[in-house]
Amino acid sequence: MKWRARGSKVWVVLWGIIPLFLFLGLTAGVAWSDNSLCLGCHQDESLKKDARGKSISLFVSEAGFKNSIHGKLSCSNCHTRIKDDAHAEGGKKAADKSVNCGACHKEADKEYQQGLHAKMIMKGTERAANCFDCHGKHNILPSKNPKSMTHVSNIARTCNRCHSNVAFVKHHALGAAIPGEEFKKSVHGKTGEVTCTSCHGSHSLRSLIDPKSTIFRSNIPQTCGSCHPDITKQFIESIHGELAARGRADSPTCTTCHGIHGIKAKVDPDSPVNERRIALTTCPQCHAAERISKEYGITKGYVKSYRDSFHGLSYRGGDTYSANCASCHGIHDIQPSSDPKSMIHKDNLQKTCGNCHPGASENFAKGKMHTVASITGEDFGEKVVGWVRIVYIILIVMVIGGLTFFNFTDWLRKTIDHRP
Amino acid sequence: MTKKYLRMTLNERAQHLNLAINFTILVITGFALKYPEAFWVSPITDVPLGMTFRGFLHRLCGVATVTLGGYHILYLIFTERGRGIIKDMIPGLKDAKDLWETLKNNFFINRPAKMIKMPRFNFREKLEYLGLIWGTIVMTVTGFILWFKTEWLMYFPMWTYDVARAIHFYEAILATLTIIVWHLYAVVWNPDVYPMSWAWITGNLTEHEMELEHGLELEKIKAAEKGKLMEFGEAAEVGGGRVYPIHREREEKGFSIRRLYGTVKDLNETIKNWKGE
Repeated sequence: MKWRARGSKVWVVLWGIIPLFLFLGLTAGVAWSDNSLCLGCHQDESLKKDARGKSISLFVSEAGFKNSIHGKLSCSNCHTRIKDDAHAEGGKKAADKSVNCGACHKEADKEYQQGLHAKMIMKGTERAANCFDCHGKHNILPSKNPKSMTHVSNIARTCNRCHSNVAFVKHHALGAAIPGEEFKKSVHGKTGEVTCTSCHGSHSLRSLIDPKSTIFRSNIPQTCGSCHPDITKQFIESIHGELAARGRADSPTCTTCHGIHGIKAKVDPDSPVNERRIALTTCPQCHAAERISKEYGITKGYVKSYRDSFHGLSYRGGDTYSANCASCHGIHDIQPSSDPKSMIHKDNLQKTCGNCHPGASENFAKGKMHTVASITGEDFGEKVVGWVRIVYIILIVMVIGGLTFFNFTDWLRKTIDHRP
Repeated sequence: MTKKYLRMTLNERAQHLNLAINFTILVITGFALKYPEAFWVSPITDVPLGMTFRGFLHRLCGVATVTLGGYHILYLIFTERGRGIIKDMIPGLKDAKDLWETLKNNFFINRPAKMIKMPRFNFREKLEYLGLIWGTIVMTVTGFILWFKTEWLMYFPMWTYDVARAIHFYEAILATLTIIVWHLYAVVWNPDVYPMSWAWITGNLTEHEMELEHGLELEKIKAAEKGKLMEFGEAAEVGGGRVYPIHREREEKGFSIRRLYGTVKDLNETIKNWKGE
């Protein structure tokens, strides 16, 4: 005790001074310089190192760095610990550890850590995007600068560095189509105001299966609604929206009908919601599908009967005046016929028909609409038409068969008699 | 020159041609709706508004056919020849017998084949003509229901519309196939007339054709002619039995509907009264 008590003052002084010297000794070379020490070597464009069998350039453009948003910082603000053989030899620095942007950008880092790219890195994927993949390294510019990699006009290009790479897309099973290529041709891509991050989010970009993701199934209406609020409002009240909100994987959301990256304007013939395609492919993709019809107890007869109705036949021939699905059922606000708000509710049907058939009488709204002729049908009309069909088919077969047979014998006899 | 027998007057040939054209257009434009994806419909569906034009054309030809039917009724009632057609068109026991004998011929039960003397309209033609009338009535009624659905549905329930649609479709199949199988055989593929019976263009049948198809009628005509020759002085047949009607309209100068009508009527009369030389 005495010894310690006696020597304590000396130790206090020593403990105070030694670290100070150590710190100064370690950092003096970098921290107090104006980066000239680092750039002295790293200005050399041919400076390279070999890592994992690859040659990596160590060149840093002074001008690029000076112009960047970080231009006033010193190298060591980010490269806090550099220690490897090369730097040790020159007695300059230590440690090769990646730059931690999160030290300053805490918010962004927190969001990023929850996002898909961070998770992929944790899983050990080499090519998942880190901060510098999207923001650049020494030449980072604020996203409002048109030259920035994260400026709205450049984001697509930035993302496409990986996501337009066929091998990359295939390897990560991100779908067969190249999203960037699809998006370029889309109505959103052409505006120049909407870009990848508008829907996917930026730092917090999440996986499709993450329930917090902007592109998670039941979040899609909200995501689209950030720009199309009126339509989303209509949609979430519709039967499709209700089912989607309950998490029904079969129920359509915006993308089911409109497409995903390649959303086209309604007037574009390639758009799934073009008036020429709604009733041919878009609605039938579910309403004529075996699995969905079974699950929801909706008969495929609706599509079949439409296709064989006058409306459907004329529509299939290219007549756009003819009613398609949306003409009677509505678009974003589709409701089941039991709902009094529905266009096809029995109280509204006369009005709905009257849109195209002025003066439509009450009888338009009575009886079954999507009828399929069958003698075992539920509806009286279906039965009658079923019988008409059978009687006529028998009649046609007998009459035409009889006439053909008679003519054949006639021809045979005359041909034989006319033999020279 | 072999003797020719008038089968169809110019008026009748015009009616026939009219019906043939309208019927063909109706068949094409009608089945184009039912089978919009068929290859032969592409000329209609590839054109902008093609389907709309198709519907318009179908209705137009429908109206034309109905109008023609109305005209035909007037023609049957108000012309002497028309009334004669009605009289000769009534089916009778003779037709059943003719059919029976023809069947026996065709099945080689009658050996050698019996020469059947058939009337002015044989059973084959009566069947087709009456079928045509039936079909036209059915198609007209159902067609107008489909066209004026709003008005129709004021008084009748929805299912009647569906029934009308079904009938219109199946009757169309029946009619089209009948024309192809029955009519085209009779006037084209029939070995007696092949490659074609020219009556719908020239209006005449040869004596040989008359013998084959209308033996009874031929006998009648010959008997009548004989009778005419016996009764001297009853009709002074100037110009070798031909009649050249004179119409005032011909004296008019320039073009006029009256004059055109006069010319057509003249021609018609001439052909009608032509006994053949």
